[in-house]
Amino acid sequence: MSSQLLEVAGLTTRFETRSGALNAVEDVSFSVAEGEIVGLVGESGSGKSVTGFSILGLIDPPGRIVSGSVKLNGRELVGLSHADLRSMRGREIAMVFQDPSATLNPVLTIGTQMRLAIAAHESLSEAAATARCIDVLTIVGIPDAGRRIEAYPHQFSGGMRQRVAIAIALLNRPKLIICDEPTTALDVSIQAQILTEMKSLAARLGTAMIWISHDLATVSSVASRLLVMYAGRLIETGPIAAVLRQPHHPYTKGLLNSLPGVAEPGQDLVQIPGSMPSLVNLPEGCSFRPRCTHAQEDCTLLPAFATDGDRAFRCHHPLNLPVSASEARP
Amino acid sequence: MLGFVIQRVLQALVVMLVISALVFMGVYAVGNPIDVLISPDATQIIREQTIRAYGLDQPLWKQYFDFLSRLLSGNFGRSFVYNMPVLDLIFSRLPATIELTLAAVFGATLLGVPLGMYAGYRPDSLISKSIMAISILGFSVPTFWIGLVLIFTFAVTLGWLPAGNRGDTATLFGVEWSFVTWNGLTHLFLPALNLSLFKFAMMVRLARAGTRETMLTDTVKFARAAGESEWTILSRHVLRLIAIPIVTVFGLELGSTLAFAVVTETIFSWPGVGKLIIDSIATLDRPVMVAYLMLVAFFFIMINLTVDIAYAALDPRLRTRRAS
Repeated sequence: MSSQLLEVAGLTTRFETRSGALNAVEDVSFSVAEGEIVGLVGESGSGKSVTGFSILGLIDPPGRIVSGSVKLNGRELVGLSHADLRSMRGREIAMVFQDPSATLNPVLTIGTQMRLAIAAHESLSEAAATARCIDVLTIVGIPDAGRRIEAYPHQFSGGMRQRVAIAIALLNRPKLIICDEPTTALDVSIQAQILTEMKSLAARLGTAMIWISHDLATVSSVASRLLVMYAGRLIETGPIAAVLRQPHHPYTKGLLNSLPGVAEPGQDLVQIPGSMPSLVNLPEGCSFRPRCTHAQEDCTLLPAFATDGDRAFRCHHPLNLPVSASEARP
Repeated sequence: MLGFVIQRVLQALVVMLVISALVFMGVYAVGNPIDVLISPDATQIIREQTIRAYGLDQPLWKQYFDFLSRLLSGNFGRSFVYNMPVLDLIFSRLPATIELTLAAVFGATLLGVPLGMYAGYRPDSLISKSIMAISILGFSVPTFWIGLVLIFTFAVTLGWLPAGNRGDTATLFGVEWSFVTWNGLTHLFLPALNLSLFKFAMMVRLARAGTRETMLTDTVKFARAAGESEWTILSRHVLRLIAIPIVTVFGLELGSTLAFAVVTETIFSWPGVGKLIIDSIATLDRPVMVAYLMLVAFFFIMINLTVDIAYAALDPRLRTRRAS
C-alpha cells in the first residue's frame, strides 16, 4: 500500500441537542492513500457528511469533535487553530457539495468566486488568477472558459454548475477532495459524465477523493475502496469489488439487495425492514440489531471492528466468511 | 434594460396622472374653496366674480383639465400666505430637508448594516445583544420624545450642540447648505441623529435577519470549505446576498423621510419642507399643498425607479429575466 495521505482514527463528533447529546460520528477510523478514491456510503443521517465536515474542521456548534484524530500527511488537524484550519481548507483538502445551485453565490460571477477562493491562499495578480481560473475551468470541461468566466451561476446548466464548483475545489490543487454527493442533484445522464470525468481527473492530477453517497451504484463506479456507515459507525470496509461480491455485514448485504438491478423487472425492490434508529436513542450493542435478520442474543454487545486482511467489519455473525474463519469464531 | 426603464417611466407618468386627479379632488373639489377665498359678508357680485375668476363655474372635468394644464406648464400658482410662486417657496426649503434626510438615512445605513451583520454573525455575544437592545429602543420610543431628550441633554444641560435652526450655511452648486460649514454641521447633528434612530433600528434588524439566514446556507459552507476567511465571507458573499431588502427599505425610508420629516423639523425648528407643509395645512394655503403633494409623489416614483434599477445591478438573475 502506498503512503497514507489521510488517517482518521477514533473520530467522534458529538452534537448537544435539546433532546440530549448524540454522536453523529462515533469511533470512525479509516485512511486514504494518495490518489485513492474511497467511497463512503450510508443512509441519510448515518453520519457520512458529518465525517466529511469533521475532517475539514467545519463542525458548527452545538456540534464538536470530542475525540479522535485526523492526520493529513502525518500532521494532526484536530485541535488546530481556526487560522491554521482555514489555510488548510481549500489548499490541502477541498470539498464539493451536493447542490451546485445552492453552493455557488448567485450574485457573483463565477470568475469573482474563483478569484476569492484563490485569494484565500495566495496573492496573485488579477491576470494570473484569471489565467489559472480559465485553466481549471477548461480542465473540468467548461467550453469557452475565457468568456464564460464572467457569467453568473444561473447562466449555466446544472451539470456545468457542478463542474464550476469542482473547478473551485481544484483551484488550489488540494491533495484530497471530499465529494459530498456531488452527482445526486444532477440528471442521470449528466451524473455518468461527471462520474467518469472526476475519476479520470483524480487519476490525472493524483488527487485523492472521499466520495460520499447514499447510492452504492454511483460509488462502485468511481471508488476503489468502500466504507459503509450505519448510525454514526463504520460497519464495513474493504476493496470495493470484494465487498460487493461478498459483503460480511448484513446491512451491506441489505443495501446490495435493495439495488434496482438486483430485483427482477416488474418485481418490488427488496427493502431492509424498519428504519435507522434515532441517534439520541440507539439500541444497545449493534445499532443494526433491531432490523437484522441474523441478530442473536450476543448482538446486544457492541461488536468490535474486526480486521480480516484488507477488509474489516463490525458484526458478531458475519456473512460470506471462508468456512474456516467463521468456524474458528467461538 | 433600456426597455425596462422606458416601461417604468411610462408607468410613472400614469401614476403621476392618477395622483394629480386625487390631489385635485382632495384639495379643490372637496369643500368649497370660495368660502376660504372671500369673506362671508362679501356681496353676491364679488362672489360671482371670484367664482368666475377661479373657473369654479366650469364643469368638474373642465376644471380638472385646466388644473392639469397649469401643472404641465409648471405653473403651480402663488402661495396665499407668502405671496410668492409656490415652486420658489418649496425649492427654497427643500435643501434643508434633503441634507437632513440624507444625513439621517445614510448615517443609519452605514452604521446599522455593519452592526446588524455582526449581530447576525454572532447572535449570542454580549455586544450583539446590546445592539439589539438599542434597536428595540429605536423602534419603540417615539421620535418626538427622543428629540426632546436630545435637546435637553446635549443642548440644554451639556451645552455641546445647538438646539435648533440650520446655523451658518454656505453656497454649493447655487444652493445654501448647512453641512459645508462647521457651525451648520453642529446644527445638523442632533436633528439627523433624532431622525436616524428608527431607521438605524430597522437596518440593524434587516441586516441581522439576513445575515443569520445566509450564514446557514451552503454558499457560506462552500466558501468556508475553500478556505475563505470569515471577513471575506461577510464582506463579499453575505453583504451582496442581503443587499436587496436593505436597498428596498433604504429607498422607502429616503422617500418617506424626505416627505414627512415633520416631527423632527418642528422640534428642532429646522426650516425644511415638512414644516412648510404643516404650516400651509394650518393656514389652508392650497397651492402649496398641491405642489408639495405632487412633488412628494414625484420623489417616490423616482426613488422607486432607482431602487428597481439597483435591484438589477445587485441581482444578475433579475437582469436576465427582464431582458427575456
